[in-house]
Amino acid sequence: MCGLCGLLGLTHWTETHAHKDAFTGAGQRTLRAERAHRTRIVNTILQPVRAKVSDFQATSYLLSTPTGKTAVVDDIQAVWGAFEQVMGRNLDPLDPTYLSQLERSVQ
Amino acid sequence: MIPVNVITGFLGSGKTTLLREVLRKPEFSDTAVIVNEFGEVGLDHILLEEVEEGVLLLESGCICCTIRSDLRDTIRDLQARAASGAIPKFSRLVVETTGLADPAPIASTLAADPIIRNHFRIGNIICTLDGMAGRVTLANHPEAEKQLAIADRILITKADIADRAEIEHLRIQARSINPVAQLSLSDGQGFNAGLLIEEDLNDPKTRAQEIQRWFKPDHDHHDHHDHSHHGHHNHSHDKVDGLNSFVVDYDTPIDWTVFGVWLTALLHSHGDRILRVKGILNVQESETPVVLHGVQHVMHPPLHLDKWPGEDRGSHVIFITRGISEQAIRHSLEVFLSAAARATGEIGQVQAVV
Repeated sequence: MCGLCGLLGLTHWTETHAHKDAFTGAGQRTLRAERAHRTRIVNTILQPVRAKVSDFQATSYLLSTPTGKTAVVDDIQAVWGAFEQVMGRNLDPLDPTYLSQLERSVQ
Repeated sequence: MIPVNVITGFLGSGKTTLLREVLRKPEFSDTAVIVNEFGEVGLDHILLEEVEEGVLLLESGCICCTIRSDLRDTIRDLQARAASGAIPKFSRLVVETTGLADPAPIASTLAADPIIRNHFRIGNIICTLDGMAGRVTLANHPEAEKQLAIADRILITKADIADRAEIEHLRIQARSINPVAQLSLSDGQGFNAGLLIEEDLNDPKTRAQEIQRWFKPDHDHHDHHDHSHHGHHNHSHDKVDGLNSFVVDYDTPIDWTVFGVWLTALLHSHGDRILRVKGILNVQESETPVVLHGVQHVMHPPLHLDKWPGEDRGSHVIFITRGISEQAIRHSLEVFLSAAARATGEIGQVQAVV
């Protein structure tokens, strides 16, 4: 994303919180804690395919693969496209094999 | 934000008639219109003069192929000219597609362009369905089926001349393709323009009513029998290659973040086959519901409701898909939710934000 687009406020909907007053001081989770929570969940989902993401300066996410390939993405939506690019395959959430691997990985 | 309505429907199904009648009403006098071509019905001369400055004709053929350049440039141009005073300011934009066009790219154009998305928002997508030829069209043209599946409002036209039994068949067929759209009949005049065009999810005054309509379509219309009147339409219309529509329900609050991660992954892989998603969610993070809706890959920013629209506190998400079964969607979401809950150890310990 270019700087100009950022200025125009292209915030992906997954970067919003389910509570309308979140991050205003009224909530229990800070923006940083929310990003950490988001990262943990994405990492759970990526566990069967051996990739992971980490928060990068509270502005982006860094996706990395077991072979050391990395990609910086702006939001959660972009993780899946980046995963496809660096891993050369798709993560299909409807794939029964993947889903049973996911179930096993958290047992 | 200026609402953008899309009028879609197969060739000769009455799109221009609808547009012409709506534009006659004084409350739509400051509406700009983008038409793809002047059809047989045509917007008459008087009307053209009245909205002359707002009417633009896309020159290069079909909207579906030229959407990225033509429609985006046309909308930007309209906005710039209105801002500079070259044309009068308008409060609504209506895009009439060609009969063969796929209306989904219009939603993605509005969402993708940074300038457009800061000035315009998508409003109701209205699909006209020919009361006489509709069944034949739907049987032979998958484009028509998709137009119907994506719509927020379905208008069965030519109701005054079509056979009553034929209309009834068409209602049932349209309802099975798209159980969430508001369906009404038209005889070519006297449209309920408020319901068709103005009352949408983004209007705070009609938002709660609109959400209730998703789950009880047509509750305040017509004296005809409709098989989906009663409560939730939990029945699935599974077809192997055709369109399926179903509701995924959850009684317990769900983790918003997990749901978002799951839905983005799903739309990335299967967005072309998930025609519409609409739903109300009971989320762990908030006592009030979150409403989401999207067309194919494009999800609109979720809306927070101040209160629940009724007594029901469950999550209900409606999917209209092409060839994806209810079972596959349900199983996938369940695995994601339970895996994330185990990994984060938050089962039963989640606290609301306030």
